[in-house]
Amino acid sequence: MVRFLAWRSLRAFLTIFLVVTFAFLVLRLSGDPAQIIMGADAPPEAVEAFRSAWGLDRSVWEQYLGYVGSIFTGDLGRSMRDGRPAAALVAERIPATLALTIPALMLKLGLGIPAGIYAALHRNSVIDRLVMLVAVAGFTIPSFVLGLLLVLVFAVQLGWLPSGGQESWRHAILPVVTLGIGGAAVLARFTRSAMLEVLGQPYIRTASAKGVPWRRVVSGHAAPNAAIPTVTIIGFMLGSLIAGAVVVESVFSWPGVGRLMVVAVANRDLAVVQCVLLLVSFTMVVANFLVDLAYGLIDPRLRTGAQGGH
Amino acid sequence: MQRRHLLASPLALATPAFAQADSRPVLTVAVQKISNSNTLEPPREQSNVGFRLSGLFSETLIGTDWTGDLSAKPELATAWRRVDARTLEFTLRPDVKMHDGRVMTAEDIAFSLGAERLYGSGEASTTRGVLAGATGKEPPGDVVAAARRSFPGFEKVEIVSENTIRFVNRTPDLTLEGRMTQNVGAIFSREAFRAAESWLGWARRPVGSGPYAVGDYRPDVSLMLEAHDEYWGGRPPARRIRVLEVPEVSSRINGLASGEYDFACDIPPDQIGSVERHPRFEVLGSAINNMRIICFDTGHPLLRNPLLRRAMAHAVDRDTIVQALWAGRTEVPKGLQLESFGQMHVGEHQTPRFDLNEAKRLVRESGYRGEPIPYRLLNNYYTGQVPTAQILQEMWRAAGINVQIEMRENWSQVNDRGTQRGIRDWSCTAVFPDPVATLVRAMGPNGELQRSGEWKNEEFNRLVSVLETSTEAADRRAAHARMLDIIEREDPGYIVLHQAATFTAKRRDIRWRAPRGWPLDFRAGNLAFRAS
Repeated sequence: MVRFLAWRSLRAFLTIFLVVTFAFLVLRLSGDPAQIIMGADAPPEAVEAFRSAWGLDRSVWEQYLGYVGSIFTGDLGRSMRDGRPAAALVAERIPATLALTIPALMLKLGLGIPAGIYAALHRNSVIDRLVMLVAVAGFTIPSFVLGLLLVLVFAVQLGWLPSGGQESWRHAILPVVTLGIGGAAVLARFTRSAMLEVLGQPYIRTASAKGVPWRRVVSGHAAPNAAIPTVTIIGFMLGSLIAGAVVVESVFSWPGVGRLMVVAVANRDLAVVQCVLLLVSFTMVVANFLVDLAYGLIDPRLRTGAQGGH
Repeated sequence: MQRRHLLASPLALATPAFAQADSRPVLTVAVQKISNSNTLEPPREQSNVGFRLSGLFSETLIGTDWTGDLSAKPELATAWRRVDARTLEFTLRPDVKMHDGRVMTAEDIAFSLGAERLYGSGEASTTRGVLAGATGKEPPGDVVAAARRSFPGFEKVEIVSENTIRFVNRTPDLTLEGRMTQNVGAIFSREAFRAAESWLGWARRPVGSGPYAVGDYRPDVSLMLEAHDEYWGGRPPARRIRVLEVPEVSSRINGLASGEYDFACDIPPDQIGSVERHPRFEVLGSAINNMRIICFDTGHPLLRNPLLRRAMAHAVDRDTIVQALWAGRTEVPKGLQLESFGQMHVGEHQTPRFDLNEAKRLVRESGYRGEPIPYRLLNNYYTGQVPTAQILQEMWRAAGINVQIEMRENWSQVNDRGTQRGIRDWSCTAVFPDPVATLVRAMGPNGELQRSGEWKNEEFNRLVSVLETSTEAADRRAAHARMLDIIEREDPGYIVLHQAATFTAKRRDIRWRAPRGWPLDFRAGNLAFRAS
């Protein structure tokens, strides 16, 4: 277990390191923040002073080492646009994003998994076809199209819900549904496929032949064995809790981390972009780690190191 | 239950009383962007989005009739006169209440136009980064730059009496009246500035005298503007203006259609029909004081040849672009000038006409052999920017000119000198009605075109000083005409495409006139609510 944790931690550290390094280099090679933030009309001496004040006149290596060093002291830098600590700016936006992504995750789980199981249990039935039709549609329609369609129906035509903004819980409904439907569709397809594979296994037939009630066969034998691929997908979804709503936040004018990132990238507000990416990569790594732990809980063969069928 | 009733009763009584006290509606305006710089201080936010809102909370000594003929009109000054070619004397409007409750004084004017707000304590302030203001009160470098660009000859403000001040220039300048209409010279409360914790704190909540006072401002999200009931121009018709940042155009239109927004700004021309299909809404707007242009980098080996640049100018069919992409709702000006320039408008000047044969002849004469010319482009920073570029590319191809579009993400990449530049998109705003605001400000020796090393012409630069300092109107007009000829016909620095236009969708039951520029006007004379 110690070895497992050590190996995972090393991989996590490497992943974050690579993300931070890549983001740092790409941001600096694709536009001059001084020119972007100060505007094309700013006099050259003011632009130079800006570069000097923010250390942009140093070599990329010097900047990089300084940045990495400051991360270890807990200093994630300041926003070049308004001087506040980048971490504070990002932290301010996290609750708004989580207010969308957590309910959306619940919706994905609550809709996707039961729909997938139900479709698998009724394979080739009308309901199975219907569920898969809806799932494919939900999976293929881009979130900005789905969001606008929902707004058109529920805000413009029916007038039941607001079309955008963040003033009440009602404002969250359409973005949560937009986010949730796509994810639920993905989960439904994966769950159905995994369940179908498991339902064809000999041990399911054996359990049925032994007279175990079908409900018990499904919940006690099929579902746990089909959980591995589903848990993997859920891991991805957990990882995208922070930055998985970039498009939806723009469509619904929702002031979360996604919109902050879009504005920060456009303005090359380096510290803010790097802070968001650091947070996103950290979340992803933690989610992956949790998924690995979940694998061990779900499948004892993985825990004990025994050879299995996965 | 009894206690609840007891608590509720004063509320029940108070609510109708409050509603009676102020039954004015709250106006919700959806914009693409509230502020690029996340501040509201005009010299820091010199952008289209900044011009749109600054007039709601701040005013200048001389205003502009944005919903009329763009002429100058009294605002915080009731009258002004020329003392000499360097000096303007203003009679201040009496009893103007600022948003902090104080009466505007001559000291507020001296502060607003002087060093404390605009120029800082000395040379050091020109080199201060944008966030020098995060802790201290010194204006950041770009504020100083904007102030120097707007008032290049500023010497001092003299307080003559309680109600009279003089703006003194170092050099003669016939354009001072026009310059005073720029929002860089908006008037703010000196006491409020001094009471602010930092420059940034001030710039996020400036205290002016406009019809609405800055309330809660959440950068990138929303701005609340509260009615300034003691406004000298009459009680504002809206109790509050909620400006919401809605980046997606379809979301702005949907929000209007669902009744959440009263106004939706930045409507592209191709969406006008879909908005107006609904009888409850209309789209207002027109050509404004901003002109779209294409700039040449004469440092490019091919574009060094003026014949090729002239060929490119003749290959452009502006009317087709206006009809195809603007539904005919904007205009093609006679070069980089507007009729609002009055006597400085050179009516006889002709921007190079669309003439494909002439373009082909010039291409042959130039010796051009079809080598690619890079055209750096942002993704619809300007309305219809990409389709305009694609149409232009085909028009140039018809003349035998091979222009290659290169998409860029930001202005820094567009202006990057590290790789070979060719042509690029730009726009030019006549911030006051005089060619100094266009040819000098943008194309002169200190303008962006020359500073970026894209174009230079010695004769043009000599004439800049005539435009800036001559006190003879005839000389200035002649200089203007010659400069237009040089930069548009003989040694082209740019191609004028058309005037920009801005369109605002709104509820039909709100009476409102659209401005002929960016600034929104929600004062008593320009906003009324009809019973729906």
